[in-house]
Amino acid sequence: MRPVTARTAGPLTVRTAAALLVLLPAAACGTGGPPSILDRETLVIGVKPDQPGLGVKVAEGRYEGFDVDVATEVARRIGVPDVRFVTALSSTRQRLIQEGTVDLVVATYSITPENRSKVTFAGPYYVAHQDTLVRAGDRAVGNVRDLKGRRLCKAAGSNSWRRVAEERRIPVELVPASSYGDCLAKLRSGAVDAVSTDDLILAGFAARDGSALRIVNAPFTDERLGIGMRKGDLDGCEAVNRAITAMYQDGTAERLLRRWFGGSGLALTLTVPQFEGCA
Amino acid sequence: MTSAPPRPAPPAPAAPPPPPVSSGASGGGVPAVPDRTGRALLPRGVPGRIRLITAVSVLALAVLFGTLFTAAQSVRDGLDVIGHDAGPQVVATADLYFALSDMDAQVANVLLIGGEHRLGKGRARALEVYERRRSDAGRAVLQSSALAGGDPAERRTVQAVLDGLGRYERLAARALLLDEQAGHPAGPPPRPVLEVYREATDLMRLELLPMAYNLTLESGTVVRRAHQERTLAVRAGQVLTGVAGVAALCCLVWLQVFLARRFRRVFNPALLVATAIAGMYALTGVTVLGQEADVLRAAKRDGFDSVLTLARARAVGSSMHGDQSRWLLDPERADTYEQTYLDKSQSVLYTPAGDLAAYQSAVKAAVDGDRAAFLGLVGQEAARTNLPGSGPAVAAVLARYRDFQQADRTMREAGPRRAVEQRMGRLETAFGEYDAALLRLAELHRVAFDRQIRNGEERIGELWFLLPIAMASTAVMILAGVRPRLSEYR
Repeated sequence: MRPVTARTAGPLTVRTAAALLVLLPAAACGTGGPPSILDRETLVIGVKPDQPGLGVKVAEGRYEGFDVDVATEVARRIGVPDVRFVTALSSTRQRLIQEGTVDLVVATYSITPENRSKVTFAGPYYVAHQDTLVRAGDRAVGNVRDLKGRRLCKAAGSNSWRRVAEERRIPVELVPASSYGDCLAKLRSGAVDAVSTDDLILAGFAARDGSALRIVNAPFTDERLGIGMRKGDLDGCEAVNRAITAMYQDGTAERLLRRWFGGSGLALTLTVPQFEGCA
Repeated sequence: MTSAPPRPAPPAPAAPPPPPVSSGASGGGVPAVPDRTGRALLPRGVPGRIRLITAVSVLALAVLFGTLFTAAQSVRDGLDVIGHDAGPQVVATADLYFALSDMDAQVANVLLIGGEHRLGKGRARALEVYERRRSDAGRAVLQSSALAGGDPAERRTVQAVLDGLGRYERLAARALLLDEQAGHPAGPPPRPVLEVYREATDLMRLELLPMAYNLTLESGTVVRRAHQERTLAVRAGQVLTGVAGVAALCCLVWLQVFLARRFRRVFNPALLVATAIAGMYALTGVTVLGQEADVLRAAKRDGFDSVLTLARARAVGSSMHGDQSRWLLDPERADTYEQTYLDKSQSVLYTPAGDLAAYQSAVKAAVDGDRAAFLGLVGQEAARTNLPGSGPAVAAVLARYRDFQQADRTMREAGPRRAVEQRMGRLETAFGEYDAALLRLAELHRVAFDRQIRNGEERIGELWFLLPIAMASTAVMILAGVRPRLSEYR
């Protein structure tokens, strides 16, 4: 059967080539990595449910606060305006990201070297600092050292008091409280002299209490609040960083900061924070 | 190839009886001989089929050379972007941060020295460095501006840095003037000086430095994206070249077999040569493209990324050094400056610790204990660096960093007067040594990076040089192989 060779060679070649060509796009996509937040139709965003000024759950699926507004702005600017908010607690947020239950976490999530090894962070969108809240009439406290001999509130589940009493070895009298809300009540009633934690949290409380309380404005830590996403989503992270830059450049960030913390007397930083870099 | 058994002469009748097909239905071929294949689409007659198979072969070869050409172009672009164009410029913007933060550190030094002009390296020297950094910063802003190109957000940032720099210089000049008039002994200056300096350093640390840092990161993302695109293009080009190569070879073999059967020749030597050239070139192309994709990846990771990371570490280091002066300068804010110093230290070399003293002993324990895995800018570089000769360089960086941190501890534990002397004396030296060790490690990466880029360029240059030769010679050989056979039909 002489012509057989001649005849089959062609179709065979064509078939092989066709098969390889079909495989090609698949191979090209495979190197692009798993999907980015930029490819989502709807972004599921984790926020805090119980942090006045930052993230508070007001109804089922409805949250409000600075973090929530930042998340909404960022989502709009990266081109995925359709968002759904869910609760992300400090204890669950890393798992939520790793499992893919949420796409972004904007929930006073500190960028630390340890967190960064598990999650990719855009931002920080704000650098919060540990600061001290006292009664407005108490003029003697100018920085954290002046708390010597005073009564400091120790909120259950928070480590902020350690930074004063242990890391700086300032001799304070610790007064336990069930939460920061409880701390604030104790501060107003005179049961404690000072509350020390992230300034945005203090500002969230102080903004509600008007002029009865005073933020000392002597920051002594840096908490870089970042936007967490799946580890390795560099395209998404870079896009979010550009969105944050734009928010600061066009005044949106200033408007949001003033809206949520303006009444608190906290010295706000209104220029773009130093980013950590996407990794 | 099997040797063809003796067969009846050329065109004539074939084994399967030709089914009568209406002639002229399919054009193109010369219907010199009645159809024998039964395929409506193929031209009937030997010369027509030779032409067709030749045309398909040439087409496949054209695709092969075309994909090679495009892929090689991607390689060259990729090497250009990372090796000559944006890559080095991005690293240059990291110098902006360094220059800015050192300006502020030098101002703090001058204020700390006060009237004791000869303390440490002295007031005049600090002012001289300040001037030099100011001009470095100006130059780096220009470079950043060129790099920002048409991107409006980046241009706005560059403009904001430029404006801020002007404001900073005015504030710094005022603080320096007030300080000179006050003529205080070494240590914290009088309150009016401090108030102006606070304004200046806040502007620098809270506004200008973050913007400068972000500029470097943002232009780094441009390089990353360009690099990713080129690498994908090269990988895709490699696969396409492989496919086109196989297709071209099959066509040439098909032609060879067809001619062998038709013309009772075992081999067509010219075609054989063409096949060999095309095969070798396709194989070389696929191999070289694979190697080049690796070169691109390695140049990005071990070269560009490392150089940039170390430049950032150096910039953060200079601002840590400034925090030491500021800690002495402004006792009221000492806690803040100690904390930012610890934060920056952690970003350079991370090891868990609640306060600075604990951090410094942990660093000492870890470096002395030769622990390999750290987080942080220098930490990660140290853990993953595996260039020849990088081992001692990394060890030197870690050891000098430990010494620098120990000198810092001595300063913080000393009395006010001794602390200022330590800052201007031993600590200054320790910082200089650490900084020099970082530079040496960065230089090692830069040299390796340049070499990789050069090798990559040479290899792709050879492929590039051979491309037209391979194209011309295959064309000539195919022609030489096919023409005599076609002429038998004239």
